[in-house]
Amino acid sequence: MQARGLVKRYGHVTALDGADFELRAGEILAVIGDNGAGKSSLIKALSGAVVPDEGEILLDGQPVRFRSPMDARRAGIETVYQDLAVAPAMTIAENLFLGRELRRPGVLGQLFRMLDKPRMLEQSIAHMRDLQIGIRSMTQAVETLSGGQRQGVAVARSAAFARHVVIMDEPTAALGVKEGTMVLELIRRVRDRGLPVVLISHNMPHVFEVADRIHVARLGKRAAVLNPKNISMSDTVAVMTGAMSPESLPAHALA
Amino acid sequence: MRVKERRALLGALGPVIALLLAGAFFAMRSDRFLTGDNLSLVLQQVMVVGVIAIGQTLVILTAGVDLSCGMVMALGGIVMTKAAVDHQLPVPLAIACGVGVTTLFGLVNGWLVTRIKLPPFIVTLGTLNIAFAITQLYSSAQTVTDVPESMTALGTTFQVGGTAVAYGTVLMLALYALAAFALRETPSGRHVYAVGNNPEATRLTGIATHRVLLGVYVLAGVSYGIAALLSVARTGVGDPNAGQTENLDAITAVVLGGTSLFGGRGQVLGSLVGALIVGVFRNGLTLMGVSSVYQVLVTGILVILAVATDQLSRGGRAA
Repeated sequence: MQARGLVKRYGHVTALDGADFELRAGEILAVIGDNGAGKSSLIKALSGAVVPDEGEILLDGQPVRFRSPMDARRAGIETVYQDLAVAPAMTIAENLFLGRELRRPGVLGQLFRMLDKPRMLEQSIAHMRDLQIGIRSMTQAVETLSGGQRQGVAVARSAAFARHVVIMDEPTAALGVKEGTMVLELIRRVRDRGLPVVLISHNMPHVFEVADRIHVARLGKRAAVLNPKNISMSDTVAVMTGAMSPESLPAHALA
Repeated sequence: MRVKERRALLGALGPVIALLLAGAFFAMRSDRFLTGDNLSLVLQQVMVVGVIAIGQTLVILTAGVDLSCGMVMALGGIVMTKAAVDHQLPVPLAIACGVGVTTLFGLVNGWLVTRIKLPPFIVTLGTLNIAFAITQLYSSAQTVTDVPESMTALGTTFQVGGTAVAYGTVLMLALYALAAFALRETPSGRHVYAVGNNPEATRLTGIATHRVLLGVYVLAGVSYGIAALLSVARTGVGDPNAGQTENLDAITAVVLGGTSLFGGRGQVLGSLVGALIVGVFRNGLTLMGVSSVYQVLVTGILVILAVATDQLSRGGRAA
């Protein structure tokens, strides 16, 4: 997935000022940036939540235009939001298939629109086992789960339905330390299954723990793409805040 | 069985236990309570409120409330009887007019809630008064009599083992079966729960939440229209003062049946049990010779008890 020269203006405010973006196959790309750096506008453009004024987005080399999150979803891009976007009183299986329910084959499904609960349950169990999310019963209500497990359900839902990209907007922000680590582990497993992940996070240790590359947003542009193996956390923050210019970095720190 | 599941089962059985206790109490106080004819009478008394409660359940499941239900039903009854009596329309067409008007009210409620984003409480408080006023104006506050027999056919009975059962009660039970199936076994039904649970998360999964909400209010309007037909069938007239007890009783029935006013939790069959609880109290108190004012008092206490239970169980859940 790529984007070139994205521009988004809100009245007099220019949130995106010709931002570029590149996500490679099978990687976790962290997107970091100070408040107002254009990080969330970039993500919203990629997930279809806002329509950029200028620039283009390419998926597998083909230009795409998203006018709504539904368009992006249809193109195989799924987004996980930070605020645990699940229906608490409904079961895990129901949450996984919410809006994409499977119906019984034949007349029961077509005419009576009857749900295929056994098949959804079966697929939920298989999928959650695949991602090694240690939840035993798929028929328990999501509200009986811990915050981390709930986020696990949200991540699992995206991973199940994404064909191209999973975007995660601060997936660990609402979680405790242990739960955050669990979700990071899950993000790695999603990547290892071949889905590239865009991870938006303020949490530098988390970013350095899982990211393959770091996209630094600054002043509505892409300031640099860093290699977390060859740069320190403090230098990364310095690039993000503008205290250090990317040109002054050694070549191996860039990615 | 896990503790949570056991608690959920208890929550579902709670209303049934309350119904059985109320039944046992009145059976001890009155010899006539447990006769087949009296129980059939309770069912007939309950059928109007029961059908309104189906629509009310849908609305409450989405974390809304429809205060206009009884008054809209009264208007539907007046429209269908006047269409048949004053305007000499064929009965099926007259019924369609009545149901059409209640459906239109549902559409207006739903439109104001989804498009103008007004709180359901305020919207339906407004339409409650509008429906009441139109009913009084259109009927000149006069009861519509000489209703054609075919319009009141659902009030007639057939014999089951020596007990007379009204066709209307069968229709009510069939509608409950239909609603229970739709809510449990179809995607649209699950979306109603999802909207009540977490509207924003539901929208983000790509479900058209506005359409779900609008559909719920429209279907509620349809159920009030069917209830209007049952009310006409039961009383044999178009009554401009119908629906006044049903208005609160329907909400009471839904809440007594275990559906949360906060949305997203509950069962439509619980509302049937809730309606029966209300019906049993009204019937039992009548048999005991208690004045009808006390029935209103009891209903008021019941609804507060039910809401308090909901609030307390929810508080326990959040902790």
